[in-house]
Amino acid sequence: MTYRWVEHTAELELEVDADTERGVFADAVAAFAELLGDDGRGELETRDVEASGHDRSALLADWLEELIFLADTEGFTPEHLAEIDLGGDRARAVVAGRRGQPPPLVKAVTYHGLEFRQEHGRWRARVVLDV
Amino acid sequence: MSDLRRIDETLWEIPKEARADMRVPARVFADEELLDAISTDSSLEQLQNVATLPGIVDAALAMPDIHQGYGFPVGGVAAIELPDGVVSPGGVGYDINCGVRLLAAPFSEAELGQRRERLVHELSRRIPAGTGRGGPLDLRGADLERVLRDGPKALVETRGIGSEDDIERTESRGCLEDADPAAVSERARERGGGQLGTAGSGNHFVEVQRVARILDAPAAEAFGLQEGQVTILIHSGSRGLGHQVCTDYVKRMDAAIARHGIELPDRQLACAPASSPEGRAYLAAMAAAANFAWANRHAIAHRVRESIAQVLGERDAAATRQVYDVAHNVAKAERHEGRDVLVHRKGATRAFPAGSDEIPADYWDHGQPVFIPGSMGTSSFVLAGEAGSMRRSFGTTCHGAGRRMSRTGARKQIGGAELRRELEARGIVVRCPSNRGLAEEAPFAYKDVERVVEIVERAGLARRVAQLVPIGVVKG
Repeated sequence: MTYRWVEHTAELELEVDADTERGVFADAVAAFAELLGDDGRGELETRDVEASGHDRSALLADWLEELIFLADTEGFTPEHLAEIDLGGDRARAVVAGRRGQPPPLVKAVTYHGLEFRQEHGRWRARVVLDV
Repeated sequence: MSDLRRIDETLWEIPKEARADMRVPARVFADEELLDAISTDSSLEQLQNVATLPGIVDAALAMPDIHQGYGFPVGGVAAIELPDGVVSPGGVGYDINCGVRLLAAPFSEAELGQRRERLVHELSRRIPAGTGRGGPLDLRGADLERVLRDGPKALVETRGIGSEDDIERTESRGCLEDADPAAVSERARERGGGQLGTAGSGNHFVEVQRVARILDAPAAEAFGLQEGQVTILIHSGSRGLGHQVCTDYVKRMDAAIARHGIELPDRQLACAPASSPEGRAYLAAMAAAANFAWANRHAIAHRVRESIAQVLGERDAAATRQVYDVAHNVAKAERHEGRDVLVHRKGATRAFPAGSDEIPADYWDHGQPVFIPGSMGTSSFVLAGEAGSMRRSFGTTCHGAGRRMSRTGARKQIGGAELRRELEARGIVVRCPSNRGLAEEAPFAYKDVERVVEIVERAGLARRVAQLVPIGVVKG
């Protein structure tokens, strides 16, 4: 499981490199957990997260948007991906996390330089977040 | 960049021949030193990408505070011919109608004296960064609908917040008339409805300042500013509601791009003809989000007056006057040199000159006020729009200092606690819940705001009226 934040003048760029497509989604949750960095005093809870997109990268962007929406509306900070069912243009997942007061840090997931591809047997994704 | 050539003292151009897909040249207002800073990231390539948009006229323009964004560079301006040119939600940005509002207090820094710290504390208590539900003004149903349609006017009429005077001194009187709340999704309402009166995070702030220097006495007098006076600058936008509107429509336009036969060098430039169903729906939703943003800054200004009332008394609160409020992330239908165009301003500010019908009668002889926040701890400037902006930049000037260093780069150079001590040693009271967030906004992460405003003045886009220095900062 690997992800890293790449230098960008004003925004945040996330790169994920995983064994599987599922791994990309799981690593993205871990990255968000680090970013929102809430002290997570609440009980561990789960949320169903559904997303759609006409290609894999749009699907990942939509799915991350759902995490931002949960943080913004419920103060829900994700901790880990519990389950995920990846269809052609849909994803259905269960994410575990806690409610708290995460900072309103991430405005949106952009489509700038958005990537989700297989390379040398690995799955790589890149997204730029507007912060 | 080798294709860059100098047009005049303050203007540089990449000709449209530089790339096969450019429809117009890309032009940047800058001097050599700013250009060096600009050339370190991909902002000029992003500006060339903007020059490929269908319907763009004259040139893709960049202000001297340009820096790398996503899709459009921040500091980018694109005028696109109506009705068939495109509208690009990414050309407005996720924080629709992010902007700044300046309030002028009826007392000087000397008169505020030792109550300054209490005032800053009171501001931080009353103006949350804001996340989740239950902000200071939790609007639902018909109340939210009215704000989306009418902007701050709805708060004046239904809640007694602020006054007609405030609305008079707001760009577009705080209301874009094409707003249609029906074009704003339920998700956007759910995300932002509880956030009215909250500042948000990142580079948003409420700053208490002192007028340090008057540079244009007649204009300063008309704007109600004098040396030594306390001012309060509010920087915020449309919060989660605007972010979601942009998200919704980038997704929708990205999916429809092939149907419109448009090819783009960057997916974030996703766009649709302004006259298409997607284009019309976005413009109606964007206008509603812009109205929400004006209402947000209006609500924050109300909290500022409440704080002043608490610390200095009701009389001073009532006499705290709004100088003006400007948007710096918006697309507006305007007429320039006989053409109807949709001017996308992404991190750029409208700067109409003296005599424009669009500005308050009190300011008619001086030009539209523009506020240029510096980085935290440095000066901000009050400018006035100049005639050159209409000839050269579709009535537009810069919006801030412009970042030159990444957030992580800033954090590597200074810790939040150390920066807090430094600012306080310089007499600036700081309230910020996060040391990390504070470090990311360190002054050295930005370009020199004085150089940026000097360029727009030399280019004839706007002129300096007053310089403001911070004495207290509340950061989201």
